[in-house]
Amino acid sequence: MPLNWVLVLTTFLFCVGVYGVLARRNAVIVLMSIEIMLNAVNLNLIAFNGALEGDRLIGQVFALFVIAIAAAELGVGLAIVLLIYRNSFTVSLDEVNLLKW
Amino acid sequence: MDVNFEALLPELLLTLVACGVMTIDLFLPKEKRGLAFPLAFIGVLATLAAVLNLYGQNLTTLDGMFVVDRFAVIFKIIFCVAALLVFAVSQAYLNDDKDVPHGEYYTMMLFSLLGMLTIASSRDLIAIFVALEMISLPAFILAGIRKYDIRSNEAALKFFLFGVLSTALMLFGMSLFYGLTGATNLADISAGLAGRTDIDEVALLAILFLIVGFGFKVSAFPFQWWVPDTYEGAPIPVAAFLSVASKTAGFVGLFQVMFLGLGELADMWRPMFAVIGIVTMTFGNLVAIQQKQIVRLLAYSSIAQAGYMLVPLGVASATDGALNTQIIFSVVAYLLVYAFMETGAFAAATAFGRKTGKYLIEDYAGLFGRSPALAVAMAAFLFSLAGIPPFAGWWAKFVIFKTLIEGDGLVLAVIMALNTVIAMFFYLAVVKKMFVDKSEDTAAIAMPRSLAGAIGIAAIVITVGGFLPNLFGQLAENANFF
Amino acid sequence: MPDGYFGSYLTLAIYSLAMIGLVGGTLGLNRLVSPKVPGKEKMTTYESGVDPIGSGQSQTTIRYYMFALLFVIFDVEAVFLFPWAVVFEEIGVFAFVEMMIFVAILALGLLYAWRKKVLDWI
Repeated sequence: MPLNWVLVLTTFLFCVGVYGVLARRNAVIVLMSIEIMLNAVNLNLIAFNGALEGDRLIGQVFALFVIAIAAAELGVGLAIVLLIYRNSFTVSLDEVNLLKW
Repeated sequence: MDVNFEALLPELLLTLVACGVMTIDLFLPKEKRGLAFPLAFIGVLATLAAVLNLYGQNLTTLDGMFVVDRFAVIFKIIFCVAALLVFAVSQAYLNDDKDVPHGEYYTMMLFSLLGMLTIASSRDLIAIFVALEMISLPAFILAGIRKYDIRSNEAALKFFLFGVLSTALMLFGMSLFYGLTGATNLADISAGLAGRTDIDEVALLAILFLIVGFGFKVSAFPFQWWVPDTYEGAPIPVAAFLSVASKTAGFVGLFQVMFLGLGELADMWRPMFAVIGIVTMTFGNLVAIQQKQIVRLLAYSSIAQAGYMLVPLGVASATDGALNTQIIFSVVAYLLVYAFMETGAFAAATAFGRKTGKYLIEDYAGLFGRSPALAVAMAAFLFSLAGIPPFAGWWAKFVIFKTLIEGDGLVLAVIMALNTVIAMFFYLAVVKKMFVDKSEDTAAIAMPRSLAGAIGIAAIVITVGGFLPNLFGQLAENANFF
Repeated sequence: MPDGYFGSYLTLAIYSLAMIGLVGGTLGLNRLVSPKVPGKEKMTTYESGVDPIGSGQSQTTIRYYMFALLFVIFDVEAVFLFPWAVVFEEIGVFAFVEMMIFVAILALGLLYAWRKKVLDWI
């Protein structure tokens, strides 16, 4: 499979993620969109790894680290969303607006 | 597999300390939870000793990922000292605030500090990414550590969302550079980029993505929206930690990636930093003027300070090594001074807020009559931030001006000078409130020894540094990789 | 162990048979010796402890999220075990010690969850 096809796919996935983060108002869906962005990065890394070098695996190692850290990030994020839900019974980002300017 | 454990000693020690503080805290009875502070403090002191032991050495390990040189060691010293000052401030804050769990608070700070020590030595995109996340993830938790306070929750949420979004964008940039050069080691990337002319568009896009990631960390313009809200909602010592240590870590990562990895593309990123720096400082200063709350004032002022430290990158050169050395020297010098004046200002705000429960600038009226020492110290920090002699801040600004003029950035220097003048308005307004205005409340403001010590040390350092700037100058001169 | 190309398939076949025997045996034994007291509750469909009654939009209790969080983190951190297992024989004792340290740090997280009473199902 040519590298360009994969790159088009990852760019598209990444844009889907960015759109989700910017346009959606539900905190959990925003978290999911961020995961989509990170997975686009992973695909990118693995595709480059396959295209660039046969036996060195830097890209795949990088992808492993991204997966692990994405999980940790998601854990912290969900914990914060849970905290907000417990204190104010909402997961809508528009209603989290006490602090401004 | 060869691992040089000597080079890794400070990090290994700090890992042990952080895990130890967490485990010990789990098994302590409730009334002894205060033990976390001395344990963490001594642990960081021991780490600092291990770092000082490495001064002047050049070690490389983990396949070139981890490098100990003067640049790394000096930044590790800054991080440890800043952490010690913040710990001293935290102790007073935590004793008043029953909602904050001590063990978790110090554990998270220690893990964040571990990430900072690691990033100073990281010379590989993977290591830099992991270190940046190690700094950010505990920081998200710290911002929201007052679990039952909805403002603290909101601070954490905003910080988190901006943080992960910028991380994802930065990672996309990193993956593009990996695709362009087939390497993640900064030296290999630099070698892979040398002489390539077919990659302009992709490289430009990738640089933009990378700048987003670091721009978030150093709170540069379009990525600074989280700063005032997070600083206001988080506990004040955490805000001090974010604005000093975390921001410095962002600059460390930025230097390494831009100068060691992408030095060849300096023509491409130079104008970006010039624009971002100018907009950041102007935005920070203009918005700061309208602030009524001391922490938000300090937050916007810290955005403006980030702008001052970004403009020197706007005169960087792809070929002139001496100029790049001068740029790194000037920003490191500024960061050294900034660490003390910013921590000091936040410490003074903590001291005032914890006794009075007030955070508005109006409440500072007549502080000189109530607590002369505190008022004088706060004035010193604000003068230093504004760049007024005799405090060290003027020297730091002077060094940056000198760099800008040497690098043919006269326009940048003029805009920065204008900004310095604007900034004087709001810094001096607070000083005027404290010294000239009167208040009905005349009770003195008592503070515990640790807090007074932190404020005193910061004040002494910036005063002595203002008269003998060579003390900072020599340290900053050593912190260079060229 | 038989040699050759088809020999390795034979190994696989023997292994599969042993596994099927083991699983079938235990399940059959269970069937034979366990007491049977059917009731209305017990006959409902098993849905991971959630009653499959009412509309699909019902809210789950917030405690599930705590377990989900712990699961995601511990599950995904295990991703480092796979590359480690591949190169384990080349690196030897050093790799073993390193992975033990890694697992110990993960276990510390579990210890924390246990001491904070997150693991109790009330």
